[in-house]
Amino acid sequence: MDRHYDVIVAGGGNGGLVAAATTAKAGLKTLLVEKHNIPGGSASSFRRGRFEFEPSLHELCSVGTKEKPKEVYKIFDELGVNIDWRYEYNTFRAIVTGENGFDVKLRAGVENFCDDMEKAVPGCRESVKNFFDLAKKDAAALEYIYKMKGKPNPLTMVFKHADFMRTACHSVEDVEIALGMPEKARDILNTYWCYLGIPTDDLNAMHYISMVSSYVEDGAAMPYKRSHELSLGLEKAITDNGGEVWYNSEVSEFLYDNGRCVGVALTDGTKLYAKEVISNIIPHNVYSMSDNKNVPERELKLANARNFGITFVTIYLGLDCTKEELGIEDYTVFKSTYANPREQYNHRHDKPVGAYYVVNCLNEVIPDCSPEGTCMLFFTIPLYGNELPEDLTAENYKRYKNDVAKRYIEDYEKVMGIDISSHVEEIAVATPVTFARFLGTPDGEIYGYDNRNWDNVVMRANYEKTDFSVPGLTYCGGHASRGDGYSSAYITGEAAGKAVVRKLKGGN
Amino acid sequence: MAKSHIKSLNFADFLKAGEKRENIIAKAPAKPVPPTSSYRANRIASALHPERQSLIVSKIDEIADGVKSIHLVGNVKKGTEKVAYFSAGQYLVLFLDINGAKITRPYSISSSPKQALDGEYVLTIKRVNGGLASNFILDTFEVGTEVEASAPEGEFTYEPLRDAKNVVALAGGSGITPFLSLAKAIENGDEDCSLTLIYGARTEKEILFKDTFDRIADTCNKVNVIYVLSDERNDKYENGFITADLISKYAPEGDYSVFICGPQAMYDFVDKELAKLNLRKKFIRHETFGEYRNPQKDADYPYGGISEVKITAIIRDEKYEITASTNDTILNSLEKNGIAVPSRCRSGVCGWCHSKLVDGTVYIPKSVDGRRLADYDYGYIHPCCSFPLSDVTLIASVSK
Ligand SMILES: Cc1cc2nc3c(=O)[nH]c(=O)nc-3n(C[C@H](O)[C@H](O)[C@H](O)COP(=O)(O)OP(=O)(O)OC[C@H]3O[C@@H](n4cnc5c(N)ncnc54)[C@H](O)[C@@H]3O)c2cc1C
Ligand code: FES
Repeated sequence: MDRHYDVIVAGGGNGGLVAAATTAKAGLKTLLVEKHNIPGGSASSFRRGRFEFEPSLHELCSVGTKEKPKEVYKIFDELGVNIDWRYEYNTFRAIVTGENGFDVKLRAGVENFCDDMEKAVPGCRESVKNFFDLAKKDAAALEYIYKMKGKPNPLTMVFKHADFMRTACHSVEDVEIALGMPEKARDILNTYWCYLGIPTDDLNAMHYISMVSSYVEDGAAMPYKRSHELSLGLEKAITDNGGEVWYNSEVSEFLYDNGRCVGVALTDGTKLYAKEVISNIIPHNVYSMSDNKNVPERELKLANARNFGITFVTIYLGLDCTKEELGIEDYTVFKSTYANPREQYNHRHDKPVGAYYVVNCLNEVIPDCSPEGTCMLFFTIPLYGNELPEDLTAENYKRYKNDVAKRYIEDYEKVMGIDISSHVEEIAVATPVTFARFLGTPDGEIYGYDNRNWDNVVMRANYEKTDFSVPGLTYCGGHASRGDGYSSAYITGEAAGKAVVRKLKGGN
Repeated sequence: MAKSHIKSLNFADFLKAGEKRENIIAKAPAKPVPPTSSYRANRIASALHPERQSLIVSKIDEIADGVKSIHLVGNVKKGTEKVAYFSAGQYLVLFLDINGAKITRPYSISSSPKQALDGEYVLTIKRVNGGLASNFILDTFEVGTEVEASAPEGEFTYEPLRDAKNVVALAGGSGITPFLSLAKAIENGDEDCSLTLIYGARTEKEILFKDTFDRIADTCNKVNVIYVLSDERNDKYENGFITADLISKYAPEGDYSVFICGPQAMYDFVDKELAKLNLRKKFIRHETFGEYRNPQKDADYPYGGISEVKITAIIRDEKYEITASTNDTILNSLEKNGIAVPSRCRSGVCGWCHSKLVDGTVYIPKSVDGRRLADYDYGYIHPCCSFPLSDVTLIASVSK
């Protein structure tokens, strides 16, 4: 039986869920199809013994509070989804063990952050303050561009928003050097590069400035009941508004009529048709599930010009001791051997451990996220999917995972002077293979496409209509115009949903 | 004080950035993208976790009265060229159609991981009185029978970063199967731990795989086996039940991890004995119990006096209505009525059966409630361990 909808959303990750909730709320007959048996993609949770682990979220930016809501808060609010947000008001602690090493902890709030930076690197305060001022200028410029519906007056841009233009076409390092920021201050401030997956000498300044300032201005937020709470909340927003959600329903083909995307087929042969299709599935997979004649040449060229974004090995530990017993006092710790982001990136594969990894302790933000007398640790190690060992097979995969986990746990024990190993009650290790399994993404990517500066988010937004020109098909998620991250995925989901509502119902 | 030179950066580059990007795109080939299945991470993912495995019975061994080992190989004609590798202790789920009832049952793999590389799994299945699947399998499976199975599943595996180097395994009845796999994996050098197996059986005759265990124990110094008979006095063996004293008698020096697999009655007994040993929680691991039975016996069961209810299941845009017993799990009742819904462990822990209860009330025994925290707020349940207390309506997913 063929079925007809106003909107089909393919994939129920962060972007797809918000997109479907948005179109359903606007009264459009919406169906979301998801291959896994729960919503959220990366945004879920999993249980081992008496622990429930957060699979992916480090910290959500752009949330804000009821009194001072930011984009993400507003999206959930508008969809009627209540989230029990918990906040972290430290940005991070960065420990560099090698040459020119440092160990600094930075509080959130621009003034606090600047004070802490000044303490770590005397004389840097003004340059760091100027970095955050650029965020305000960028926001004003973007608001203007938005008001002008993407067609700003060039003279106004030059006279009023020249600094925006500067940050929008230079790397983070270029801008910071121009601000007169000392090298050590740059190294500390650029610790967050891995959240966007590209070292700061090739990362767009505007993109990075806006991300860092959203963490610093509002702190980071976490849902009390892991990301599963976010995703079930959004799912309810879809169904409460008359939308349908089908799990265990994997798209195997995108259907076209005269070059227009008109629906999808599922692996079991079910054909589903819609006036508009929103894809939370990465374009690469959409193309390989589409008859080649329906894929515009430029889209293929763009796909081939791009690399997949960085992905991770993650280690989830449930420990049978408290964080106090271990002496852990930080939510987020970045540990690196080198101070410089490019060095950190280049030495990702050094043995015994790569030059850079992150460790989170959720109990710091949510003390009762695990049973009394226990705590959870979450290691994140960046690598690209194609950097998995070449001789990796199904047979030696478990050994590989354990070998990696052991090396990183031991390194962290040494750095912090603590004993983790003897307290491991539960352990799970995810790799790009795991993400390939659960998300179905090529090489287990989780960040969409590489955020290299030539393909930065400003360009992606400017060229969105050229980049994706198939009628009836709109993209949302980490591979879409805003790059990776929960907040970006939510925001593109809302944008895709609203764009489709405008197409089908008219209006602004 | 460093001076800000932001103005030293050229803003006009901004106007050229689009052109630069277009040039990079123009230079890229317009060739089709590689299929997703061709990337290494995806290849390994689907080798380890195929959606389904189509298998075919290649051999059947009569192990004891009412116990058979079913050898299964890939059904190449149906697309399974290579069976998935696994870790000792994992199970397969069999998908069975028994006179229109669409049921699943988990069975621990009793063969070694190495045998899977050679293309074979072995399941050892014991007849359960009145049991639907076990009788069907033992009575109808023959060489050439085709059966659909899941990928290897489950967490009852030896984890070197978590468990002590010494494993003390407590087995009862058909609960011996995962440990046969583990003993072989140790013998083959695929797992690096030592195993002290304390195996409880009623009588000498009921000890399964005695020859194999004795041979492995003789040749591999990392494996040690102790048999305990409960219903027969025999000086060759330990007699009685698996008590704390018995465990202490055979447990190695220092830390050890206890792995337990057997019938519910054994868990009840052994857990009390283990409590006397004051082991850390991390050193005690249970295989999942399997189906929860007789919820009415629980102290917190809110007995409502009804024995029959109506279950409405919404799966995609189809609606099914059945009558069910309050003594049966929702999963069981749906399956018996030929309605296939997702399941794996049937014990509350894996989350595969995750479904939304939209109307009615259910009883979920605390000991098998493996839901995620947010599930409680949004009405999600695991039908494999949920017993209806009233008429209920739930939204389930299609089986996978
Ligand atoms: C992870 C896992 C691994 C397993 N591995 C194996 C294995 O290797 N070998 C093996 O033989 N089995 C194994 N089992 C058990 C197996 O999955 C089935 O439960 C078993 O074969 C019985 O299924 P059935 O359909 O025959 O009985 P069912 O139809 O499920 O039961 C029918 C009737 O039998 C009675 N009954 C059955 N079991 C019990 C019980 N435990 N207590 C009280 N009454 C009961 C009940 O009255 C019930 O009404 C495993 C189970 C799990 C969860
Ligand atoms: S089948 Fe595993 S939780 Fe229900």
